[in-house]
Formats: sequence, structure tokens, C-alpha cells
Amino acid sequence: MNTVIREDTVTKVEKILQDFIEESGATYALITDMGGNPLFTAGEEDFDVDTLAALSAANYATTKEIANLIKEDNFSLLFHRGNNENVHFAKITQDILMIVLFKPFLSLGLLRLKINSLQQKIVSIIGN
Amino acid sequence: MAIVNLKDKTIQIKIVYYGPGRSGKTTNIEFIHNKLQQNKNQQISNLVSIDTKGDRTLFFDFFPVSLGKINGFDLKLKLYTTPGQVKYEATRRLVLKGVDGLVFVADSLTSRQDANLESFENLKSNLLYHKQSLSDVKLIFQWNKRDIDEKMIPLSPIEEMERLLNSELKVQSFPASATSGMNVLKTVNYISKETVKSVIEKTILNKHKMGN
Ligand SMILES: Nc1nc2c(ncn2[C@@H]2O[C@H](COP(=O)(O)OP(=O)(O)OP(=O)(O)O)[C@@H](O)[C@H]2O)c(=O)[nH]1
Ligand SMILES: [Mg+2]
Repeated sequence: MNTVIREDTVTKVEKILQDFIEESGATYALITDMGGNPLFTAGEEDFDVDTLAALSAANYATTKEIANLIKEDNFSLLFHRGNNENVHFAKITQDILMIVLFKPFLSLGLLRLKINSLQQKIVSIIGN
Repeated sequence: MAIVNLKDKTIQIKIVYYGPGRSGKTTNIEFIHNKLQQNKNQQISNLVSIDTKGDRTLFFDFFPVSLGKINGFDLKLKLYTTPGQVKYEATRRLVLKGVDGLVFVADSLTSRQDANLESFENLKSNLLYHKQSLSDVKLIFQWNKRDIDEKMIPLSPIEEMERLLNSELKVQSFPASATSGMNVLKTVNYISKETVKSVIEKTILNKHKMGN
């Protein structure tokens, strides 16, 4: 059960992510699988991307387990606020997750709207 | 689930160390990380450990490492350990998500043989949870703590451990000592090579593609 990602898929998805960063003012976007492998990225980073992917996948999976435990479908918002950087997690498909880093002065509401429309574009490229 | 990226020419592979509590999984991965750090030619990522005050693993230990090129592809290995303690079932199960290769670190202490068996059964049921089975992944055994003086603490003979855990599968196994480093690198080299080989075979023979 391995995944081969084609060259044009990478190009298309990373272009979408890059456009998103330019429009929204977000710092960095990462799409990872639920096993913690980075798939697509855009933006500047000064940290280890593999580690961010591994921890984010674990964080997302843990939150989902907590939801199951307390009989909640899922939490609709998974987000951490920092002094310098915020991080937002969104499920794109059953198998992949998107992580967005953005500065605290940006509006979370607007960003979430943009992430929603982004999600549909990405699904149209990679399928469900 | 290995990821082959045809644009960046990378292959990502996930290796998980599994086994009962205190069998030496974290000690293995720390030894490997230390060794790699001593190599001045390679920049190595930090080891991330989610544990209880620097001791027992609560979720996992993790670090990524580049293995160089094969067939023009950059190989990126992700090493993880699981928490062995029975009570951490929920997190242990999550670490297995997308695993490609497994090292089962068995404790050689005679008193821990039941724990080895229980952990191995637990591994199979947790693979099932992810709709996987042992035949979908590469697996090897490590008989750890062979450095212990048998006059002080009774150890199970290797043949007995083979019989207990590896009599049907008959996969590769190494006696080891994670504290001294004996066969620790041999274990990780072997599982990496075998896993990479199987991933390449599978992706060439059976092209499971993302995107259209
Ligand atoms: N003598 C000896 N002790 C070992 C060896 N490997 C590990 N230990 C010791 O066993 C104890 C537990 O080792 P860990 O590596 O933390 O065990 P673990 O499998 O990660 O345990 P959990 O995180 O609880 O699942 C430590 O005190 C280690 O020093 C070994 O090869 N020989
Ligand atoms: Mg540990």
C-alpha cells in the first residue's frame, strides 16, 4: 500500500498552496499524510519539516481519539495560538491533513474560509 | 505506507520499534541518533521524545534521517518507537499508522517472556486496526539485553525466544545490546535495506498513484 505522487500533481498542489500563502499572508503551509510523511509544502521554514509532519499527524490523531472517547464526532476547530505564530490544522481528506502557520495579527475566520475553498481545489486534484 | 514523490525524487519510509515496556526501544533509537550525530558530514535532525519526565515513552520517540540515493531517489527514513507499557495502548496504536518496517525489540530476561508474547499479539491486533497484517510490512526481531550477566539475572536462551516468537515467521533476528550498541546499527541497517527493497519492488510492480 504505497503511494506514488506524480510530478504534475506535486506541481499543481504546490502552486495552489503558494497562491494561498500569497493571498492570505500565511507563513507556511504543509500537507502531510496521517502517517506523518510530508507530501506538499509552500512558504519559508526554519524548522524540520519531517518533525512538524510527524508531530502534527500525531496531534491530529490524538485529538480525534479524544473526540471518540467523549462521543464527539470530531472537533471542528484544531488550532494553537502563539505569541509569534499560530498553527491551524485541517483535515483535507480521510488520509491527509493540512497545517498552516500564520501570524497572530491575521484573522482566523478569514483564513478558515480560504482553507475551506483550498480544500476543495486540492481534493479535485488528488481525489478523495 | 511509503511515499514516492516523482517530482522531488524522494522516497519516505516509516520504521517502527515495537516491544514490551522497558525492552530497550528508546535505548536503540538514542544509540543510533548519537552515532549519527558524531558523523560530522551529516546534519542530523533532533530526536523528539514524548515521554514521562525523560524516562518511559508516552507516545513515541522520533527522528528523520537521510540515507543517500538509490536509483536516483533520495531516501528519507523516519524512525519511531512505541510506548511498551500496556496502559498506553491508545497512543501505541496511533504510531503504527502507515508503518513500512518493524523492529520487534524483545527483552531477553526470562521474567519478561510473557510480556514479549503479549506485546507481539498486541502488535498483530494493532496492525489489524489499521487494516494491515504482518505480511504487509517488513519485520525483524531483536533479542535485546544479551550483555546481562546470566549469573546475576536469568536470561532466556536465544533458541527459546526464537521458538516463542519466530518459529512460524522465520524472519531475520539479531541478538543485541542496546546499551553497549552491539548489533544496534546492524538491526537498523538491515530493516532499512529490506524495507526500501520491498517498497521499490511494490511501487514498480504495482503503481498505486495519487492524482490523475
Ligand atoms: N543491560 C541492558 N539494559 C538495557 C538494554 N537496553 C535497554 N536497557 C535498559 O532498560 C531500561 C529501559 O530501556 P528503554 O530503552 O527506556 O525501554 P523502552 O523499550 O523504550 O521502554 P518503554 O518506553 O516503557 O516502552 C533502561 O534502564 C535501559 O538502560 C540492554 O541492551 N542491556
Ligand atoms: Mg521508550
